[in-house]
Amino acid sequence: MPTSDRIAEEGVAHQAEVSSNSETVPASTFQVKNMSIWYGEKRAIQDVTMDIATNSVTAIIGPSGCGKSTFLRALNRMHELTPRTRMEGTVLLNGEDLYSSTVDPTVVRRRVGMVFQKSNPFPTMTIGENVVIGLRLNGVHDQKFLNERLEKSLRMAALWDEVKDDLNKPGTSLSGGQQQRLCIARTLAVEPDVVLMDEPCSALDPIATAKIEELISELKTKYTIVTVTHNMQQAGRISDFTAFFYLGRLVEFGVTTSIFTNPKERQTEDYITGRFG
Amino acid sequence: MIPKHILGTFDEALTSLRNDLLMMTGLTERSLDRAVKGFLQRDDDLCTHAIADDEEIDQLEKQIDKDGFEILLRFQPMAGDLRQVVSAIKLSPNIERVGDQATNIAKRARKLNQHPPLPEVQWIVPMQQHATLMFKDSIHAYVREDLELANSVCGRDEELDEMNRKVNKKLTERMIEDRDQLRGYFNLILIARAFERIGDYAQNISEEAVYATAAEDIRHQGRTAAV
Repeated sequence: MPTSDRIAEEGVAHQAEVSSNSETVPASTFQVKNMSIWYGEKRAIQDVTMDIATNSVTAIIGPSGCGKSTFLRALNRMHELTPRTRMEGTVLLNGEDLYSSTVDPTVVRRRVGMVFQKSNPFPTMTIGENVVIGLRLNGVHDQKFLNERLEKSLRMAALWDEVKDDLNKPGTSLSGGQQQRLCIARTLAVEPDVVLMDEPCSALDPIATAKIEELISELKTKYTIVTVTHNMQQAGRISDFTAFFYLGRLVEFGVTTSIFTNPKERQTEDYITGRFG
Repeated sequence: MIPKHILGTFDEALTSLRNDLLMMTGLTERSLDRAVKGFLQRDDDLCTHAIADDEEIDQLEKQIDKDGFEILLRFQPMAGDLRQVVSAIKLSPNIERVGDQATNIAKRARKLNQHPPLPEVQWIVPMQQHATLMFKDSIHAYVREDLELANSVCGRDEELDEMNRKVNKKLTERMIEDRDQLRGYFNLILIARAFERIGDYAQNISEEAVYATAAEDIRHQGRTAAV
């Protein structure tokens, strides 16, 4: 079966799951079951169950405060960095429980990379150092290996041709869009299974945004990508699946074209058409 | 009831597009009605009015295209809104072609009116009634978002095609039998074909009504839209 058909078929299964919260689907990178997250007394995520398909782009949409960033951060345990956080439910990454007591959160974050809203290259480091810092921190010091990985990561991030002669310049000397692609290259350098993106284009101009979107489409052949976005058109352009969150709940999850042309839930329709609240 | 859009200008643009489409359907129904009466009652004035209506229908088609594309460009509508805009853009050419067929009927009727009446006109009356009702029902299905009615219109087109085949055969036979009325029978064949085409456009409109209402594409297949 062609990949697109398989993905579409899985998407239907995903969509069915939202209402039934029943069985999980194989060939998913993430299997999230009954996830609830509290910040102190406040419940930010309520009983979310969804699978995230491998080698696809899943977009998380919803109004501010709906829990989409919290959900994203829970996929690599980054939400635990916030004090008084509590989580219930399970998150399986390729079948492995991310929240098992034997799992080291730093290892999780290496396997599940994160790109943030604002590009954040290390200001004291060169472009080259920024890309391989993750490897160095993990004890890799073979310079030949680091150089190879540096070029590979920058090529995958579609930045190599623009910076190959300036690898010793500060990362902060790049434009906003280039800095964001540098951060993506830094994420890719440690060869994660998944790339999480939290509004990766919200601070970029349309040209830089288009380059990141193009990059995301290319990266999904190798990685599973989950992205949070407020830009519905962007979600429509780049994602295979879309999940709509509201008040911490997963309202609807399905194939992107279905969500944006014929959503099943009234709340989804109202939100994406701009009739919300 | 659909809640108001956060952007009032978007709701206004959608309403304006819908109003233009409704005005276009109203004018086309009137034009078809005048053409039919002009044909059956042998009234040249009604035929002339039907032909004159066409220009305004054409202008509305262009207006709907322009407004529809402007909405797509300015507001990037989604879901039901997107379907409304896309279906309006796709409906208007079908309605415009019904207007063209009304003009064709009126022009042929004026030619027929220059000669003594032909009793064979009555053969076309059932076709005219069938096609006119199909068109009206297709518009009602769209306006009222009535899936059942839309599906029923689609199911009626084959019957109209069969009626046209029979009328065509009979008129062709009459042409052989009575060569003096060759031109008159030829005009009747073309009028029958115009009604058959109106049925095709009514089917297209009904298919768009199903898409706009239920996001189902029932073109080029059996009538399967869920009601």
